[in-house]
Amino acid sequence: MGIKAHTPPKTNRFNNRKNMPVLGATQRAAFERLIKADVLPLRTGALAIKRGMTAVYNPESGERIPCTVLQLEQNQVVHLKTMRTHGYFAVCIGAGEQNPKNVTKPQLGHFSLQGVSPKRHLQEFRVKDEKGLLAVGQRVTADWFMVGQYVDTKADCNGQGGGSRVYPGKKMAGRMGGQRVTVQNLKVLQTDGERGLVLVSGAVAGPKGTIVMIQDAKKKPWPNVPLPPSPAEINLELRKEIDAKLGDAPKEAQKAEA
Amino acid sequence: MATSSKSMRSLSCWKQILRQTRAVRQQQFRTLNTTPISISRFPGPPPPGLSRPRASQQDVSNRQPKKMKVYPPPPSARAVCKDPIAAVTESQLGKLDPTRARTRLFTRSNLDAAKVGDILLVRTKNGDDFAGVCLNIRRSGIDTAILLRNNLTRVGVEMWYKIYSPNVEGIEVVQRREKRARRARLYYMRKPKHDVGSVENIVRQYQRQRAMLRSADVKSRDANSTKKKNNKRGSNK
Repeated sequence: MGIKAHTPPKTNRFNNRKNMPVLGATQRAAFERLIKADVLPLRTGALAIKRGMTAVYNPESGERIPCTVLQLEQNQVVHLKTMRTHGYFAVCIGAGEQNPKNVTKPQLGHFSLQGVSPKRHLQEFRVKDEKGLLAVGQRVTADWFMVGQYVDTKADCNGQGGGSRVYPGKKMAGRMGGQRVTVQNLKVLQTDGERGLVLVSGAVAGPKGTIVMIQDAKKKPWPNVPLPPSPAEINLELRKEIDAKLGDAPKEAQKAEA
Repeated sequence: MATSSKSMRSLSCWKQILRQTRAVRQQQFRTLNTTPISISRFPGPPPPGLSRPRASQQDVSNRQPKKMKVYPPPPSARAVCKDPIAAVTESQLGKLDPTRARTRLFTRSNLDAAKVGDILLVRTKNGDDFAGVCLNIRRSGIDTAILLRNNLTRVGVEMWYKIYSPNVEGIEVVQRREKRARRARLYYMRKPKHDVGSVENIVRQYQRQRAMLRSADVKSRDANSTKKKNNKRGSNK
């Protein structure tokens, strides 16, 4: 309770005057950096299960290409992240199935609200802009990837060791592995929509049965193969389907009444 | 402990009444504010196909605890194809070994199959044929391979061949081992004591015999059937 001679001038701790350059640490700035670097894929990826490795022969040239077999399991768009709400664009993909009994109530509510089944795995795939957004509920099958295109895969690699921590310098094997490993620019050799198979050349990190994220290659231009249908076209088709269903429903009701 | 006197009790009663009225007022305020709103996720008009009628766009004014709807999962690819590696191998074999002759030659259950210790001749597309004693058969689907050992210019040479490779035109059994080998991998044959050395002579003899048989066969066939001459040789090959 001292006596104050005057009210001190109000200083601003923040450097937020007008016409200041945008701070580099904001989400917006980070987004713009990514746009400038042009490393955001145009369309979403998918979640697959690594089923093992084999080889593919080219019958003409006799060339043998070792490849990894990945299987897409019940991939579906669960949620969308938009610039307006979240500050970036992303498609949340769910894969596999989960017994609703084992899903927490909030998450079950999320799935229920979006109109999709409870998923075993959930993963966000960033896309460049809103043109890359697929409709919620849209299924992503193995046909999503074109034969001849390049993809990046991300997975957790095999872990070694276990148990307690081993201090550096101790004459013992430590813990290693188990970290996220990205393999860039793998060529898609074959796809099979019905069986959900995508064959990519070379190895993918992790043991058999591991979950793998596949997305269009960041650092490779689109090769000389047919372009995939754009998300807008796919959304339009889905819209038409829904409209047709909704259109049929009243007609059927009328028929039933008659 | 305290609040046993009458005056105190009435005070607590007032408190309770006030609390109730406040709660009622708040509730009214809340209901007034809660109007059905349609949530738009996009700045402009939504892209076609994205605006689906969903639970979030329904009237939320009199929301009650209700059972959440659980949607059925989409069809499973795993149920269609349980063993993708086998499926991929099968589709490959359809192209590379349509008659399955190559598969039969190295199947364990086949009594006439090639075994370790046999002398095998691999004919390749580029003409560099190779013959040798089979030391090892590495069975693994489409990557099944054999290891052959021979002596060329008195130098031991070993070659791995993928049996389904399009570069391999054919695999022939030149000579079978007299007794069944009692090991799966005959790496002991690399030792000087067990090394069989060059198999060139055996292979040359086999090829000569083969050529004689073939020419005799063709001659007899030509003599027997002049009518069915067309396509006969092609199919024989």
